[in-house]
Amino acid sequence: MEKSIETIWKEGFIKNDALVAPKLNDLYNQKSIDIVEKFKHMYKLNRIGIVAFAIIIIPLSYVTGMIYMGIPMAFLFIAVTFVAQKFSNQLDTIDKNTSSYEYLSSFDKWVKDMIAVNSKLSTFLYPYVFLAMALGFWFIDIDGTILGDRFINGFVSEFPTTSLVNGFPILLLIPFFLVIGILAFFGGKIGKWDINLIYGGILNKLEGLLSDMEELRK
Amino acid sequence: MSSDFYTTQILPYAAIIIKICRAYTDTQEDFEDYYQEVCLQIWRSKDNFKEQSAWSTWIYRLSLNVCLTFLKKKKNNKQNSPSDLLPDEILVDSRAFADESLNQLYGAIRQLSEIDRGVILLYLEEKSYQEIADIIGTNTNNIGVRITRIKERLKKILSN
Repeated sequence: MEKSIETIWKEGFIKNDALVAPKLNDLYNQKSIDIVEKFKHMYKLNRIGIVAFAIIIIPLSYVTGMIYMGIPMAFLFIAVTFVAQKFSNQLDTIDKNTSSYEYLSSFDKWVKDMIAVNSKLSTFLYPYVFLAMALGFWFIDIDGTILGDRFINGFVSEFPTTSLVNGFPILLLIPFFLVIGILAFFGGKIGKWDINLIYGGILNKLEGLLSDMEELRK
Repeated sequence: MSSDFYTTQILPYAAIIIKICRAYTDTQEDFEDYYQEVCLQIWRSKDNFKEQSAWSTWIYRLSLNVCLTFLKKKKNNKQNSPSDLLPDEILVDSRAFADESLNQLYGAIRQLSEIDRGVILLYLEEKSYQEIADIIGTNTNNIGVRITRIKERLKKILSN
């Protein structure tokens, strides 16, 4: 009697070893490449975003009357892109013809180097941004008067006894330099937080995958 | 992924993945590619598993989706390849099960449309109409009729 398809299906899988899972030797390779490629893609988008900001910020700051902020910010963005591009070039030199573990370890080392350099740069970067913003606001022209001058005049008339350093009230200079100091002190941490915000998901996966592979190598 | 993820969460359900992947591939090489892709996608998407269905049902759904997507991708990549011009019937499965009837059944299943392959696999795995409808994303009413039609087609192919 002819067997039904249901019977063929049931008996077929009982009789033979058709359900032996293939070895997943290559799975870690795929996952490694997946993680690195994803990171590269995000890193590239990030660089494109920074360049776009560098291009947009000058006309934007000109229109808003904050050109003294726009120019230094554009310089900063270009410098950041330059550093990021250098790192990206290094990333492309990581040898793919090694084992997944070595490939990921090299990538991990690259990530750590990149974070370390970014943290160092952030010590200067955030005070620089603050300074650029202060300059931008300071030189805003309101009805032919500079906003900064207006502010100083108002401050001095409010606190006539305040000491001046090169025409700047010391009561303003102290908090100003305090903010710069704080930003310089915490710049590294802010930089790391910033990187984690963008790449945290991928970096966590990388960490998990590496610890996985290390465990397998034991 | 924890080091045990594959062993505890995928391997016990490997039969599901194997059965589905074999229905969508003609060669051992393709089969291993699809199998790996499904495992990779399970690992990638595991956080999306909401426990609204059984883990096995979720694996069925994901395996089918991956196979359908992967098949489409491969077809697009092979668009200019001469082998793509050959009808499915001419493609010979390079693998062979010990059970000849099962080989023939798989051969017949591979001649069905991509969605029909999924439906009949789920039916043969004794999934309820509701589960099949949920996994495939269709209406329960259509499933019964569709299965009858697919079974008739399979019988016809097998008798030839």
